Amino acid sequence: MNDIILEMKGMEIAFPGVKALDKVDFTLLKGEVHALLGENGAGKSTLIKCLTGVHRMDAGTILLEAKPIRPSNTQEAQRLGISTVYQEVNLCPNLTVAENIFIGRQPMKRGRIDWKTMNKRASELMGLMGMDVDVTRTLGTCSIAIQQMASIARAVDVNAKVLILDEPTSSLDENEVQHLFRVMNDLKQRGLGIVFITHFLDQVFAISDRLTVLRNGKLVGQFETSKINKLELVTSMIGKDINVIYSLKKAQPKEDAPQVLEVDNIGIPAKVEDISFDVKKGELVGFAGLLGSGRTETAEMLFGVTHPTKGEITVHGKRVQLKAPLDAILQKMAFCPEDRKRDGIIGDLSVRENITLAVQATRGFLHPMKRKEQEELADKYIRILSISTPDAEKRVGELSGGNQQKVILARWLATQPDLLILDEPTRGIDVGAKAEIQRLMLEMCEEGKSVIFISSELDEIIRCSNRIIVMRDMSKAAELDGDTQQAEILKIIASEDEKEVSA
Amino acid sequence: MKRKLAGNAFLKSKLFWAIVAEFLILLVGFILRPDFLSIQLRTLADGTRVLYGTPIDIFNRSAEITLIAMGMTLVIALGGTDISVGALVAVAGAIALKFLRWDVLIYNTPGDYTVKPYFYAIAVPLIVCALMGLFNGSLIAKLKIQPIIATLILMVGGRGIAQIITNGKQFTTQYSPFKFIGNGSILGIPFPIIITLVVVVAVMVFVRKTSFGMFVESVGINPSASRLSGLKSGTIIMIVYTLTGFLSGISGLIYSSRISSNDSNNAGLGYEMDAILAVVIGGTSMTGGKFSLFGTVVGSLIIRTITTLVMYFGVVSEAIMAFKALIIAVVIVLQSEPVRNAIAKRRERRHLNIGGEMHA
Repeated sequence: MNDIILEMKGMEIAFPGVKALDKVDFTLLKGEVHALLGENGAGKSTLIKCLTGVHRMDAGTILLEAKPIRPSNTQEAQRLGISTVYQEVNLCPNLTVAENIFIGRQPMKRGRIDWKTMNKRASELMGLMGMDVDVTRTLGTCSIAIQQMASIARAVDVNAKVLILDEPTSSLDENEVQHLFRVMNDLKQRGLGIVFITHFLDQVFAISDRLTVLRNGKLVGQFETSKINKLELVTSMIGKDINVIYSLKKAQPKEDAPQVLEVDNIGIPAKVEDISFDVKKGELVGFAGLLGSGRTETAEMLFGVTHPTKGEITVHGKRVQLKAPLDAILQKMAFCPEDRKRDGIIGDLSVRENITLAVQATRGFLHPMKRKEQEELADKYIRILSISTPDAEKRVGELSGGNQQKVILARWLATQPDLLILDEPTRGIDVGAKAEIQRLMLEMCEEGKSVIFISSELDEIIRCSNRIIVMRDMSKAAELDGDTQQAEILKIIASEDEKEVSA
Repeated sequence: MKRKLAGNAFLKSKLFWAIVAEFLILLVGFILRPDFLSIQLRTLADGTRVLYGTPIDIFNRSAEITLIAMGMTLVIALGGTDISVGALVAVAGAIALKFLRWDVLIYNTPGDYTVKPYFYAIAVPLIVCALMGLFNGSLIAKLKIQPIIATLILMVGGRGIAQIITNGKQFTTQYSPFKFIGNGSILGIPFPIIITLVVVVAVMVFVRKTSFGMFVESVGINPSASRLSGLKSGTIIMIVYTLTGFLSGISGLIYSSRISSNDSNNAGLGYEMDAILAVVIGGTSMTGGKFSLFGTVVGSLIIRTITTLVMYFGVVSEAIMAFKALIIAVVIVLQSEPVRNAIAKRRERRHLNIGGEMHA
């Protein structure tokens, strides 16, 4: 029996200057996975935050099992049976898995925490999730997947009726995603309504029953997943013709273009093994491979974040020693890191300050850019990258994920780099912004700059790269031509470690 | 519209409520004793004319904390703390007096023989304190020791060093150029106020006219991202702690000049907490990031105003601390986020009502 568990009608909320939600309706059935889709800033998070009591809506009603509710904070929402698992795992990394699952509601015995029961129940819960882990381990030492499962276990255990998963898969690898889907199906069987927010469209088709699309705070429509195809979905999300996105053309470096970067056998023992490759002027080199295959570690060695103990890095034909990122920046390199929240944005500083930061760093603090110069630079990149912000003085932390990513890109473009290293620049951002970043990379190559592009999504690697380097088990597994088929790369990624085979 | 919003943001800021608190405290003083706020020009015995009155006294006596708190603001903006500042005040005094009274150590008969090393009595304490600051900064930047632990070393050790410098003795000096630092005046304005003004302006200019302030905020908000953007956070940390040590040195010279003596046990006692409090009342968060030097000046003035008020009304000395704590508690509650938001909301509502009436 498909009955409605949650219904939101005529939701409206306005923030200074924007109407974040404009008469949005949303219905969730019992035992379904319902994908909530839209570009960044479409209003997905705002809608969820109204539901969990973070924001107060200006108008609209929420019915939970036909009863009107108006939660004023997350705890209240949770008591009512609405649990949320956020994109960034927000647990305490210094507590154990069990403590995290039961924090705030530890089983008590004679006025003290009953550790035995707690650990036993935590083990059972993780077992239900198909995770066989030692729950007394400190959470911070566990993989992201285990952390994610712990937060789901925690969310589900508080007799949840509605489970909201906000971008749960953005830091999981393929196997872990499949595992999560099994857990989701399991929870579905138990009668939970699951709201699934993601940017991965393939996953939407793989797991969801129905989907709701938002655009600019308005409802575009509600669809049965089986009755819509990918093209229609993307078109409805971005509101323009999808073909623009797929008409990207690869960069065409000249045959005799000079080498910008030559990497010869660099490595850090027990971390990354001998890596060799080179990048030509105007070339886009893609790095494929699973999370933890050594892609990021390689990029960090190139940028002076970590220091290779052997091998040589040659930039523009000159051998260089990179002691700190500043040295790499002075060699005209730039690096957009994978975790933009931790390593990218300076949340409390303005868009202007974030954009000018790297340029200023190369000049030193005693030679400040004039305020006017800074404003021109910021305005220029806000325009070029079409960063949506009311003005350059807005706090970066208040922008949406895609726009934050563009601000970091702007910071690097402002330094006029010859070689741009982008580590998962399109993760967690919407289709529209993704296409813009891909287009931008290719434009840079055309201007004679070079790009190293790291991504987990093979189709975008294949679409953009001139050459593809496949990483596996902390070393380079293969170097392929840009026209390679996806299946071939997958085969290399999945194959056994050669050394093990030969041993 | 935009201006109204900006005004509202200011109303919600901690700095605004710090200023309100300062005026309220002054108002209470004024109501209880109207002469609390009076300023006169008095002629001293030696013919110099000096501004006199409680407000002047507040500015004058807040100098020691304001100076240190300038550095502390940057330290806290970096996400750290420096609890060694009070001990450095004692060190500065000890070194100054050691130079001023080297006669005591050389000549057997007592007397004020020579004050030739006046330059050293000023320069050496400042250099030593700056080096001690650099020591703190190096522990934090190079050895990655937590700031509170790193500075604990000199907090405890500093007073011991001061004792060793003077062999545990307390010297006094009547050398007037030295006494001028804490007790003199130029054009009727007490010299400590002038020093403070110069230093505050200098620090503000250094921090805001160069990019140093932005770098400090950036490292304080997100050290990892700052490093990847090419900032040398180690250098920034060492500069900030060195500056704080240097400013503690100036503070120590003013203190020892006021009492014409060194006092390794009591000089600068508790200054670290007053300085931290001044920074926090001024609106800079202990978690680091955005900071306000002007707010810190206001914070330091508040602390001094409270002390002055309590002493002015003759609260028994045993109760002074308790009274001070009480008033500070009120100030901090007034500044807390829920209270600020509640007041801002009420004002918003009133504005809306007024707007509505005007349309009607």
